[in-house]
Amino acid sequence: MISHRVILLVLIASAFAGCATVTPKDLSKFNAASLHSILVVPVVNESLDVDAPDYFLSTISLPIAEQGYYVFPVNMVKRILEDEGLSDAGLVHNASTEKLAKLFGSDSVLYITIRRWDAQYIVLTTTVTVELDYVIKDGKTGEELWRDYRIVKYQPSNSSSGNGFADLLVMVINAAITKAAPNYIPLAQQANTTAFTYPGPGVPPGPYAKTKESK
Amino acid sequence: MLFFIVGCSRNMYYWGNYNTDLYCYYKNPEEREKFSEHLQKIIQTGEQGGVVPPGIYAEYGYILYEGKQYEQAIEFFQKEYDRWPESQILMSKMIRNAKKSTEVHTVSNDEDIVENENNDKP
Repeated sequence: MISHRVILLVLIASAFAGCATVTPKDLSKFNAASLHSILVVPVVNESLDVDAPDYFLSTISLPIAEQGYYVFPVNMVKRILEDEGLSDAGLVHNASTEKLAKLFGSDSVLYITIRRWDAQYIVLTTTVTVELDYVIKDGKTGEELWRDYRIVKYQPSNSSSGNGFADLLVMVINAAITKAAPNYIPLAQQANTTAFTYPGPGVPPGPYAKTKESK
Repeated sequence: MLFFIVGCSRNMYYWGNYNTDLYCYYKNPEEREKFSEHLQKIIQTGEQGGVVPPGIYAEYGYILYEGKQYEQAIEFFQKEYDRWPESQILMSKMIRNAKKSTEVHTVSNDEDIVENENNDKP
């Protein structure tokens, strides 16, 4: 009984800890730039999963467009850069922001780095982790206008049936499935949605946002 | 479980399954035709309510362009150009390229976007 109370307290405490870390950002530079368009360039991958950048790219257009900005077609941009000899994302991130922005006619450039994209198996459970850095730079000056950092973790829930052995079996199977085919996409979507939420860590609504004033 | 509950606000644009479609295309690059069909569907449905998302006409145009269907590609680059003023610089280049030749696949090469003088990294 006592152990249940302790667990509950820990859960409540950690929930509050999660909320306490939100600090308002200085958006004065971002607002002054009054952006209309955002160019998402290929993603730098620091994880060991070689597919992560491409898969991640499929999740990023929606939250930015829905925030009211023109988002350049991510697949087309990627292919054009490859044709230009810039298939290496690190090279693109080190290239001049102003020149990139000029080439595509964009107001700004969004640089994303995948820090983690992995599934770790620890004692009967697998934790899937997605960790990302986001930076928006001004296309005219190259100056940083906004940045965010997100980490999202997922563990399969192991509900208890009362039968210890059966529960153990379910946990092992869940962990094995998660490890064999971890689904990172919902985590990436969650990270993006949070990163672009405003008010919150995200950017203020852009020119196409319907509810620009009321948001 | 909470991780998967994404905000309940309704979207401004019609996306269909764009996320999944692009994801599947990257997973199986040989299924370009399928991706193309899905983009076409997003456009058809989105046009009914005037809610085609930014970039989708261009994305579809580029798939056509890669498939050497240059005339159709131009049609969709033009749609993107007309709908989104922000796209006009890029779309003009793409339309020019598609018109110019059946061999050149890149945007104009006259701009070097990597700064050589900035290569001070070890």
